[in-house]
Amino acid sequence: MIEQFQHKLTTSFFLWFDNFLLTKGEAYSNKTGQLYYYEDPRLDSRYLAYGSPYKQWVTDSSIAGATIPTGVSVVGASTSGRDDGVVFDFENGRALFSGTNTSMTVTGEFAVKDFSVYLTNDTEDDLIIENKYVVNSRLPSGPLTYIQPYDDVVPAIFLSVSQAENEPFALGGMQKTKTQAKAVILAEDTYQLDGVISIFMDSVDEVIAAIPMSGYPIDELGDLKDGSFNYTGLADTYEDVTKFCVEKVRTSKLSDRTRNVLANELYVGFIDFDIDQYRYRFQ
Amino acid sequence: MAKLPLDVQQALQRQAPKQLRRDFEREIKNKFKNIKDELIKEFLADPVTIEILQGASGSNISGTLGGVSNLFAFIGFDSGEQPISPILQYLENIQLTYKQEIRKRGIGVEFEVSLPTAQDIFAITPLPWATGRSWAEGIERGLSGLGYLLRKDGGRSGAAVQSRVNKVRGGRFQNRPYISALIRKYRKRFEELK
Repeated sequence: MIEQFQHKLTTSFFLWFDNFLLTKGEAYSNKTGQLYYYEDPRLDSRYLAYGSPYKQWVTDSSIAGATIPTGVSVVGASTSGRDDGVVFDFENGRALFSGTNTSMTVTGEFAVKDFSVYLTNDTEDDLIIENKYVVNSRLPSGPLTYIQPYDDVVPAIFLSVSQAENEPFALGGMQKTKTQAKAVILAEDTYQLDGVISIFMDSVDEVIAAIPMSGYPIDELGDLKDGSFNYTGLADTYEDVTKFCVEKVRTSKLSDRTRNVLANELYVGFIDFDIDQYRYRFQ
Repeated sequence: MAKLPLDVQQALQRQAPKQLRRDFEREIKNKFKNIKDELIKEFLADPVTIEILQGASGSNISGTLGGVSNLFAFIGFDSGEQPISPILQYLENIQLTYKQEIRKRGIGVEFEVSLPTAQDIFAITPLPWATGRSWAEGIERGLSGLGYLLRKDGGRSGAAVQSRVNKVRGGRFQNRPYISALIRKYRKRFEELK
C-alpha cells in the first residue's frame, strides 16, 4: 500500500512533538560515560552491543547544545565512528560494533532525552494500569550499567492518533480533516509533568510540517539514515506542502487521589490535540 | 399600494419599537419558554443522561459500553455524586433578554438568548480523575476505562464494584453524539425564533 494521509500525519506529528519538546523545554541532558557490553540475542550476529545507562539519545542536530554522537572512544584505539563500522542505536542508547571483542572499554558523549517518546496503539488503560515499566531515571543512582534494550522505559510520553473525520470546507471538494491526537505523559515527578504540560499547552496555533514516512530519520538498527538529522532543515524541504495546524490543545493531570492507586510511583498527565489540515481526499 | 410619506415612515420607525416591545416580548417569551422546555426535556431523555442519573446501579442503556456495566461507574464517579446537575442548572439558566430596537432592518425589537456553547458545558463537567478533561466531551470523542480501573475494590461508585475479570476496557467504549449536537440543534431553533 502506498503512503496515506494517516501515515504522513503520524510521522509528522511524532517528529514535531519530539522537536518541540526538546527545543522549547531543552528537555535533554548531555552525558559522558562508559558503554557496557551485553549480549543481545535479537541483534544481528555481525554486531556486538555496548550500551549506555540511558535510552533514547537525541538525534536532532537542530537542538542547540545537544551532543549528537558521531563517534565513541575505545581504549587502545582511536575514536571509532560510522566509517569504522560503528552503528549508533539512538533508540536503545547504545553503540553496535562489528567483530568479536567483548572486553573493550568504550566511552561516549551523547545527549539523552528527559522523556522517551513512543508511538503507541495501546489504550490509556493499558499504558497506565496494565503495562509495567523500567524506570530509566536521568538522575542516576547506584552502580551504572547498560539499560536493557527494546522495552519501553519511563519517564516517557506515548503518542497516538486516535480519530479523524472530514468536514466539507470549500467548493471543489476541499475537506477540513480534523484529527485527534493524544499524548500520555508518565513522569517521575511533578516538575517534569508540569513542564511538559506547560510546553504543549502553548503549542496551540503551531503548524506542523507535513513530512512523509520517507523523511523519518531512523533506520532499522536505530541509527540515522544519512548520518545526521536536522528537523528544522527537513521541515523546510516540505515548506510548500500543506501543513497541519494545531487547532486546540487541552491538558490535564491524573489527580493525586486516583494516582495513589497506581502500582508505580508515576505522575500521569494527558494532552489532547485537535489537528486540522485543509486538503483534497486521497492526497 | 400608496407609499407612506417619509415623515410617517420615520415616525413609525422611531415609535413602533417602543410601543410594540411589550407585545413582542410577551409573544417571544412564550415561544422561548416552549423551546427551552423542549431542550431540557430532550437532554433529560437522552439515554446517556438517563444512564448517569441512574447512578452506580444503572444499566448501559446508552449502548456506549456494549451493555456491560454503566457510564456512572465507567467514568468513575463517586456514589451519590450528581454529575448531571451542573448541566441541568446551566440549561435552566438560559435567559431571554431584551437587546435593542431594530430600526434599519425593518421595525421591531431584538432579543438575546444566553444559550451556552458546548465548550461551556465541557468546562463544568470534569472527569473525576483528570479534571482538565470533560466527561461530557468524552461521550462524544471517546473515553478510556481509566476511571473504572482506578477505583479501588469496593470502590467509590458503591454497588458497581470493580472486577478485574469483567472489567470494562476503554477500547470498548463507543462514543456517540451528546451535548454538541443538542446545542447545535437548539441554537438553530432559537435563531429561528421570530
